[in-house]
Amino acid sequence: MATQAAIPGSAALTAPVRARHTSPRIKWGSVLRHVILAIFALIIILPLAWVILLSVKSLPDAYQNEIWPKTFDWSHYVYSLQKIPTLPQNYTNSIVVTLGTVVITTICAVLAGYAMVFLEVPGIRIVFALLVASMFFPTRVTAVIAIFETQKDLGLLNVPAGLIFPYVTLSLALSVFVMRGMFQTVPREIYDAARIDGAGRVRMLLSILLPMVKNGIVVVIIVNFVTAWGEYLLAKTLNTNQSAQTLPVVLSAATGGMGAWVWPRLAAVYIMAIAPGLIAFGFAQRWYIKGLQEGALKA
Amino acid sequence: MAQLTVAQQQRRSDAERSTSRRVGDWLARFAVPWLFLLPTAVFFVGWALYPIVRVAWFSLLDYRPIQASRPVTFIGLQNYVEAFADPLLQVGILRAAQFTALFLPGMIFIPMLLAVLIDRITNPRVSTFYRLVLLIPAMIPGPLIFLLWKWMYDGYIGPINYVLVDVLGLFTIHTQPQWMSNQLVIPALAMMEWWWGLGYHTMFFLAGLATIPRDLFDAARVDGANEWKMFWTVTFWRLLPVTLVLVVLRFGTAMAVIDEYLIMGGFMRDRPTYTWTVYMWDTAFQGVQDRGYAAAIGWVGTIVMLIVVAIMFWAFRSRD
Repeated sequence: MATQAAIPGSAALTAPVRARHTSPRIKWGSVLRHVILAIFALIIILPLAWVILLSVKSLPDAYQNEIWPKTFDWSHYVYSLQKIPTLPQNYTNSIVVTLGTVVITTICAVLAGYAMVFLEVPGIRIVFALLVASMFFPTRVTAVIAIFETQKDLGLLNVPAGLIFPYVTLSLALSVFVMRGMFQTVPREIYDAARIDGAGRVRMLLSILLPMVKNGIVVVIIVNFVTAWGEYLLAKTLNTNQSAQTLPVVLSAATGGMGAWVWPRLAAVYIMAIAPGLIAFGFAQRWYIKGLQEGALKA
Repeated sequence: MAQLTVAQQQRRSDAERSTSRRVGDWLARFAVPWLFLLPTAVFFVGWALYPIVRVAWFSLLDYRPIQASRPVTFIGLQNYVEAFADPLLQVGILRAAQFTALFLPGMIFIPMLLAVLIDRITNPRVSTFYRLVLLIPAMIPGPLIFLLWKWMYDGYIGPINYVLVDVLGLFTIHTQPQWMSNQLVIPALAMMEWWWGLGYHTMFFLAGLATIPRDLFDAARVDGANEWKMFWTVTFWRLLPVTLVLVVLRFGTAMAVIDEYLIMGGFMRDRPTYTWTVYMWDTAFQGVQDRGYAAAIGWVGTIVMLIVVAIMFWAFRSRD
């Protein structure tokens, strides 16, 4: 019991165990397990359900402090896109930056992961050590001043697509290790056989190996999508003009309750901001979870 | 030239061949593999390594770009001397440590508990359902999570106080918790982070659990161990490597948090969210924009964090 106090959450862990042993016929342990998991599932879902409901409340209802709206008003989505002047631009900025980051990082990670597994790269140990070290170093925070100066030197301040350059590095090391882990699951014999058959390195990568590591590619795409779509610090620091900003920066600068940003409209913009990720995840979840299990989590 | 002997010709073509072979070797052994690494190297060097080195250089300068008349001068370690004596920086590092102390346990143990519970579910559909629901927050970028919770904690519109005041009647409108106040903001932020990390970290532990051979549990069960005992004798130790990796990684994350504080904390210097990261940003990009001193603040905070990470690595090193 002495150890129990030191571990938060362990009290809940004992409960099902005791129950199961006192009455073995009804599986109380199993019931409690599902009750606990269901509570956590609700904790996840309820905040999102709340913000969805808020986004379709009529304006009087929004200030009535009731969770379920009396009258629904679906106009907030269209209204905010039409009436908040820079919003369509901000949305486009987010899409451009995210798309660029995802495509470039994925290509980098596939090529690097392939080289690290199948080619003998001179100096690979140094590369490897640097990449690992970078995962423990808060580059985005510590170096934000120098990233700002570099972007300024390149004339990329307030250029939405300029964010792509620093964004690629944010999850680059992780992406490379995910792809390296995936390529390591490919049997060496397949590589050697294809080499003997005279397949070039690039052709083999594209036609034989890529289909075998596609789950890892899904993981890399999703990780980089989430990083780039929501990045805040660099976006806020590098792009100060509202028309050059991305969605999260504009949203967080909006104070709810006033003018164009009344709460339901704020919520509607919020839903439009998180929907692409959740919808994409809905489609890709099968490969994503497989990818995580196959190689990604080992990296 | 026509008088070249056969032997001479032979020798020359040998020499040519060996040069081209050498070039070919170099291409095959060095250039081609590096071609594959080139895109990664360009971005990594250009926007990670170089900025890190450059910000270290800034920290040795008197550098205030908005004061055009003030020359940029090399002042050695002067910024660091000031930074070490700066009480606000010390408080800022302490505040980051306090947040980390609250953040870490929930970020590690709640997912561990959930993973153990999900791992025991035999119905694959039910277990997939739980995995998917838990992963939903991992699909929403951090800053958007912080916004959602900022609204959730709101005293007027937020559902948390709605439940506490209107549904449960635990508080009145006057006594309701002010989640963004200086007293509650750190626990409020920590709870938000737990919510965010729930699913992602559970996946890590589930991957760890999947590697435990099932007969270990069967053997323990035959020995009469109950679930509680089994967790502490088998599961916990098998999960220890995953746990330690997560502890080190998340310690680093928590100590260098900034987006949360910028979104929910503001720039009041007596706020518990005014940590070294916010202090650095505030100094570099607002007011007199003292980028040299800000760079030193950033490096001191980072080095303190890295020292602890190094100690953790040493303490957790595998002793096999």
